[in-house]
Amino acid sequence: MALNVLIVDDSAVMRAIVIKTLHLSGLALGQVYEAKDGEEALRVLDENWVDLSLIDINMPVLNGVDLIDRIRQNPETADLSIIVVSTESSETRIENVQRKGVAFVHKPFTPETLREAILRATGVIDERKDSEGSISGGSFDF
Amino acid sequence: MNEKIAKALYRAAALTFEELGFMFPSQDLDPLQKFAPVDGVASVDFQGPCEGRLVVRLAGGVLPVLTANMMGELEAPSENMQNDAIGEIANIICGNLLPSLAGVKQVFHLDPPTTRPARDAVAPVTGLAPEAEVQIGLEEGRADILLFLTSSPGQQQ
Repeated sequence: MALNVLIVDDSAVMRAIVIKTLHLSGLALGQVYEAKDGEEALRVLDENWVDLSLIDINMPVLNGVDLIDRIRQNPETADLSIIVVSTESSETRIENVQRKGVAFVHKPFTPETLREAILRATGVIDERKDSEGSISGGSFDF
Repeated sequence: MNEKIAKALYRAAALTFEELGFMFPSQDLDPLQKFAPVDGVASVDFQGPCEGRLVVRLAGGVLPVLTANMMGELEAPSENMQNDAIGEIANIICGNLLPSLAGVKQVFHLDPPTTRPARDAVAPVTGLAPEAEVQIGLEEGRADILLFLTSSPGQQQ
Protein backbone atom coordinates (compact mmCIF):
# COMPACT_ATOMS: atom_id res chain seq x y z
CA MET A 1 0.00 0.00 0.00
CA ALA A 2 1.38 3.41 -0.96
CA LEU A 3 1.74 5.83 1.96
CA ASN A 4 0.61 9.43 1.79
CA VAL A 5 3.05 11.65 3.68
CA LEU A 6 2.82 15.21 4.98
CA ILE A 7 6.01 17.18 5.69
CA VAL A 8 5.62 20.26 7.90
CA ASP A 9 8.61 22.58 8.18
CA ASP A 10 9.04 26.30 7.60
CA SER A 11 12.34 25.63 5.78
CA ALA A 12 11.88 24.69 2.12
CA VAL A 13 15.40 23.24 2.09
CA MET A 14 14.60 20.98 5.03
CA ARG A 15 11.39 19.82 3.35
CA ALA A 16 13.44 18.99 0.24
CA ILE A 17 15.91 16.96 2.33
CA VAL A 18 13.08 14.98 3.94
CA ILE A 19 11.40 14.32 0.57
CA LYS A 20 14.72 13.13 -0.87
CA THR A 21 15.16 10.75 2.06
CA LEU A 22 11.60 9.45 1.66
CA HIS A 23 12.26 8.62 -1.98
CA LEU A 24 15.45 6.79 -1.00
CA SER A 25 13.81 4.93 1.88
CA GLY A 26 12.31 2.14 -0.18
CA LEU A 27 8.78 3.07 0.94
CA ALA A 28 5.95 2.85 -1.57
CA LEU A 29 4.96 6.51 -1.64
CA GLY A 30 1.59 7.90 -2.68
CA GLN A 31 1.07 11.64 -2.37
CA VAL A 32 3.73 13.74 -0.65
CA TYR A 33 2.23 16.95 0.75
CA GLU A 34 4.15 19.94 2.11
CA ALA A 35 3.15 22.62 4.62
CA LYS A 36 5.22 25.52 5.92
CA ASP A 37 3.40 25.87 9.25
CA GLY A 38 0.85 24.16 11.46
CA GLU A 39 -2.19 25.95 10.03
CA GLU A 40 -1.31 24.86 6.50
CA ALA A 41 -0.78 21.33 7.78
CA LEU A 42 -4.25 21.23 9.35
CA ARG A 43 -5.78 22.32 6.03
CA VAL A 44 -3.93 19.51 4.21
CA LEU A 45 -5.09 16.99 6.82
CA ASP A 46 -8.67 18.26 6.55
CA GLU A 47 -8.75 17.75 2.78
CA ASN A 48 -6.59 14.65 2.29
CA TRP A 49 -5.86 11.23 3.77
CA VAL A 50 -2.36 11.16 5.28
CA ASP A 51 -0.62 8.08 6.76
CA LEU A 52 2.57 9.65 8.12
CA SER A 53 3.58 13.19 9.05
CA LEU A 54 7.06 14.57 9.72
CA ILE A 55 6.77 17.74 11.78
CA ASP A 56 9.20 20.45 12.88
CA ILE A 57 8.61 22.11 16.27
CA ASN A 58 9.74 25.71 15.82
CA MET A 59 7.45 27.18 13.16
CA PRO A 60 5.54 30.44 12.75
CA VAL A 61 1.73 30.77 12.94
CA LEU A 62 1.10 27.40 14.64
CA ASN A 63 4.09 25.54 16.07
CA GLY A 64 4.69 21.79 15.97
CA VAL A 65 3.65 21.06 19.57
CA ASP A 66 0.30 22.82 19.16
CA LEU A 67 -0.17 21.13 15.78
CA ILE A 68 0.36 17.67 17.32
CA ASP A 69 -2.17 18.50 20.05
CA ARG A 70 -4.75 19.52 17.41
CA ILE A 71 -4.04 16.33 15.42
CA ARG A 72 -4.46 14.12 18.50
CA GLN A 73 -7.69 15.89 19.54
CA ASN A 74 -9.37 15.23 16.17
CA PRO A 75 -10.82 11.67 16.04
CA GLU A 76 -10.11 11.50 12.29
CA THR A 77 -6.39 12.14 12.72
CA ALA A 78 -5.77 11.03 16.32
CA ASP A 79 -3.92 7.85 15.27
CA LEU A 80 -1.71 9.47 12.63
CA SER A 81 1.92 8.27 12.72
CA ILE A 82 4.10 11.29 13.53
CA ILE A 83 7.85 11.84 13.53
CA VAL A 84 9.07 15.11 15.01
CA VAL A 85 12.18 16.33 13.17
CA SER A 86 13.62 19.18 15.16
CA THR A 87 16.70 20.99 16.38
CA GLU A 88 15.23 20.91 19.89
CA SER A 89 17.87 19.76 22.39
CA SER A 90 16.10 20.25 25.72
CA GLU A 91 15.48 16.82 27.29
CA THR A 92 12.51 18.31 29.11
CA ARG A 93 10.82 19.45 25.92
CA ILE A 94 11.72 16.26 23.99
CA GLU A 95 10.18 14.09 26.72
CA ASN A 96 7.04 16.24 26.69
CA VAL A 97 6.72 15.80 22.93
CA GLN A 98 7.36 12.04 23.08
CA ARG A 99 4.51 11.67 25.62
CA LYS A 100 2.19 12.66 22.78
CA GLY A 101 2.97 9.35 21.06
CA VAL A 102 5.46 10.57 18.46
CA ALA A 103 8.95 9.53 17.40
CA PHE A 104 11.75 12.09 17.58
CA VAL A 105 14.64 12.69 15.15
CA HIS A 106 17.16 15.33 16.09
CA LYS A 107 18.63 17.77 13.55
CA PRO A 108 21.22 17.43 12.16
CA PHE A 109 20.50 13.88 11.05
CA THR A 110 22.04 11.52 8.57
CA PRO A 111 19.75 10.18 5.84
CA GLU A 112 20.16 6.74 7.45
CA THR A 113 18.89 8.00 10.81
CA LEU A 114 15.78 9.55 9.30
CA ARG A 115 15.17 6.50 7.12
CA GLU A 116 15.34 4.17 10.15
CA ALA A 117 12.82 6.34 12.00
CA ILE A 118 10.47 6.36 8.99
CA LEU A 119 10.67 2.58 8.64
CA ARG A 120 10.01 2.11 12.38
CA ALA A 121 7.09 4.54 12.39
CA THR A 122 5.45 2.94 9.36
CA GLY A 123 6.28 -0.67 10.28
CA VAL A 124 7.76 -1.25 6.83
CA ILE A 125 10.34 -4.06 6.72
CA ASP A 126 13.79 -2.85 5.74
CA GLU A 127 14.61 -5.22 2.87
CA ARG A 128 18.09 -3.80 2.35
CA LYS A 129 18.93 -4.45 5.99
CA ASP A 130 17.66 -8.02 5.71
CA SER A 131 19.77 -8.71 2.62
CA GLU A 132 22.94 -6.88 3.69
CA GLY A 133 22.90 -7.67 7.41
CA SER A 134 23.24 -4.01 8.36
CA ILE A 135 22.75 -0.60 6.81
CA SER A 136 25.34 1.03 9.03
CA GLY A 137 28.06 0.69 6.42
CA GLY A 138 25.89 1.89 3.56
CA SER A 139 25.09 5.42 2.62
CA PHE A 140 22.82 7.42 0.39
CA ASP A 141 24.10 9.39 -2.53
CA PHE A 142 22.58 12.80 -2.05
CA MET B 1 36.73 34.37 24.69
CA ASN B 2 35.22 31.39 26.50
CA GLU B 3 37.24 28.40 25.24
CA LYS B 4 34.82 25.81 26.62
CA ILE B 5 31.91 27.35 24.73
CA ALA B 6 34.10 27.74 21.64
CA LYS B 7 34.79 23.99 21.65
CA ALA B 8 31.07 23.22 21.95
CA LEU B 9 30.39 25.72 19.16
CA TYR B 10 32.93 24.02 16.91
CA ARG B 11 31.47 20.56 17.61
CA ALA B 12 27.90 21.68 16.90
CA ALA B 13 28.90 23.45 13.68
CA ALA B 14 31.19 20.68 12.38
CA LEU B 15 28.50 18.04 12.94
CA THR B 16 25.91 20.15 11.12
CA PHE B 17 28.13 20.76 8.08
CA GLU B 18 29.10 17.08 7.94
CA GLU B 19 25.67 15.51 8.36
CA LEU B 20 23.49 17.94 6.42
CA GLY B 21 25.97 19.52 4.01
CA PHE B 22 28.27 16.56 3.36
CA MET B 23 31.21 18.94 3.83
CA PHE B 24 34.25 18.04 5.86
CA PRO B 25 35.49 20.76 8.19
CA SER B 26 39.10 21.64 8.85
CA GLN B 27 40.52 23.69 11.70
CA ASP B 28 43.56 24.96 9.81
CA LEU B 29 42.64 27.60 7.24
CA ASP B 30 44.88 28.46 4.30
CA PRO B 31 45.15 32.15 3.22
CA LEU B 32 42.59 31.63 0.44
CA GLN B 33 40.03 30.41 2.95
CA LYS B 34 40.96 32.94 5.61
CA PHE B 35 40.44 36.02 3.42
CA ALA B 36 37.59 34.74 1.24
CA PRO B 37 34.73 37.23 0.73
CA VAL B 38 31.51 36.62 2.64
CA ASP B 39 28.63 34.97 0.69
CA GLY B 40 25.88 35.29 3.24
CA VAL B 41 25.00 35.85 6.89
CA ALA B 42 22.25 34.42 9.08
CA SER B 43 21.50 34.85 12.76
CA VAL B 44 19.21 33.30 15.34
CA ASP B 45 18.17 35.07 18.55
CA PHE B 46 17.38 32.94 21.59
CA GLN B 47 15.80 33.48 24.98
CA GLY B 48 15.71 31.25 28.06
CA PRO B 49 18.13 30.68 30.96
CA CYS B 50 20.39 33.04 28.99
CA GLU B 51 19.77 35.28 26.00
CA GLY B 52 21.76 36.11 22.94
CA ARG B 53 22.37 35.65 19.24
CA LEU B 54 24.19 33.09 17.13
CA VAL B 55 25.61 34.35 13.83
CA VAL B 56 26.77 32.22 10.89
CA ARG B 57 28.83 33.77 8.09
CA LEU B 58 29.72 31.68 5.04
CA ALA B 59 32.54 32.80 2.73
CA GLY B 60 34.38 31.75 -0.41
CA GLY B 61 31.53 30.20 -2.39
CA VAL B 62 30.51 27.78 0.38
CA LEU B 63 26.84 28.83 0.47
CA PRO B 64 25.73 27.67 -3.03
CA VAL B 65 27.68 24.41 -2.69
CA LEU B 66 26.28 23.75 0.77
CA THR B 67 22.71 24.43 -0.39
CA ALA B 68 23.10 22.14 -3.42
CA ASN B 69 24.56 19.39 -1.21
CA MET B 70 21.74 19.70 1.31
CA MET B 71 19.12 19.41 -1.43
CA GLY B 72 20.94 16.71 -3.39
CA GLU B 73 21.20 18.89 -6.51
CA LEU B 74 24.10 19.40 -8.90
CA GLU B 75 23.31 23.01 -9.87
CA ALA B 76 23.39 25.94 -7.44
CA PRO B 77 19.86 26.50 -6.10
CA SER B 78 18.15 29.91 -6.19
CA GLU B 79 19.15 32.78 -3.89
CA ASN B 80 15.96 32.23 -1.88
CA MET B 81 16.90 28.61 -1.25
CA GLN B 82 20.44 29.64 -0.31
CA ASN B 83 19.03 32.10 2.23
CA ASP B 84 16.76 29.36 3.56
CA ALA B 85 19.71 26.97 3.83
CA ILE B 86 22.00 29.30 5.78
CA GLY B 87 19.09 30.18 8.10
CA GLU B 88 18.41 26.51 8.78
CA ILE B 89 22.11 25.86 9.39
CA ALA B 90 22.20 28.72 11.93
CA ASN B 91 19.05 27.36 13.58
CA ILE B 92 20.47 23.84 13.90
CA ILE B 93 23.87 24.96 15.22
CA CYS B 94 22.14 27.20 17.78
CA GLY B 95 19.78 24.43 18.91
CA ASN B 96 22.68 22.04 19.38
CA LEU B 97 24.85 24.56 21.21
CA LEU B 98 22.35 25.74 23.84
CA PRO B 99 22.58 22.68 26.16
CA SER B 100 26.30 23.49 26.52
CA LEU B 101 25.36 26.90 27.93
CA ALA B 102 22.73 25.92 30.47
CA GLY B 103 22.34 22.13 30.63
CA VAL B 104 20.18 19.60 28.81
CA LYS B 105 17.07 20.09 30.96
CA GLN B 106 16.70 23.82 30.29
CA VAL B 107 14.19 25.08 27.76
CA PHE B 108 15.03 27.84 25.29
CA HIS B 109 12.94 29.71 22.76
CA LEU B 110 14.57 30.26 19.38
CA ASP B 111 13.34 33.03 17.06
CA PRO B 112 13.09 32.26 13.35
CA PRO B 113 16.44 32.75 11.56
CA THR B 114 17.16 36.13 9.99
CA THR B 115 19.30 36.33 6.85
CA ARG B 116 21.35 39.41 6.17
CA PRO B 117 23.25 40.84 3.20
CA ALA B 118 26.97 40.03 3.10
CA ARG B 119 27.79 43.72 3.79
CA ASP B 120 26.29 43.27 7.27
CA ALA B 121 28.89 40.64 8.07
CA VAL B 122 30.76 42.88 10.49
CA ALA B 123 29.54 43.73 14.01
CA PRO B 124 26.26 41.81 14.01
CA VAL B 125 25.56 42.87 17.59
CA THR B 126 26.76 46.43 17.97
CA GLY B 127 28.88 47.09 21.02
CA LEU B 128 29.27 43.48 22.11
CA ALA B 129 32.29 41.24 21.77
CA PRO B 130 31.45 37.64 20.97
CA GLU B 131 31.42 35.23 23.90
CA ALA B 132 32.87 32.63 21.54
CA GLU B 133 33.93 32.57 17.89
CA VAL B 134 35.16 29.77 15.65
CA GLN B 135 36.34 29.58 12.05
CA ILE B 136 35.91 26.37 10.11
CA GLY B 137 37.55 25.62 6.76
CA LEU B 138 35.06 24.23 4.22
CA GLU B 139 36.26 23.41 0.70
CA GLU B 140 37.63 26.67 -0.82
CA GLY B 141 36.02 28.87 1.79
CA ARG B 142 35.08 29.01 5.45
CA ALA B 143 32.34 29.39 8.01
CA ASP B 144 32.56 31.90 10.86
CA ILE B 145 30.33 31.10 13.82
CA LEU B 146 29.92 33.76 16.50
CA LEU B 147 28.00 33.57 19.76
CA PHE B 148 26.89 36.77 21.48
CA LEU B 149 25.35 36.69 24.95
CA THR B 150 23.27 39.60 26.20
CA SER B 151 22.68 37.84 29.53
CA SER B 152 24.49 34.89 31.08
CA PRO B 153 22.79 31.82 32.63
CA GLY B 154 23.43 33.13 36.16
CA GLN B 155 21.78 36.46 35.41
CA GLN B 156 18.56 34.87 34.17
CA GLN B 157 18.02 32.38 36.99
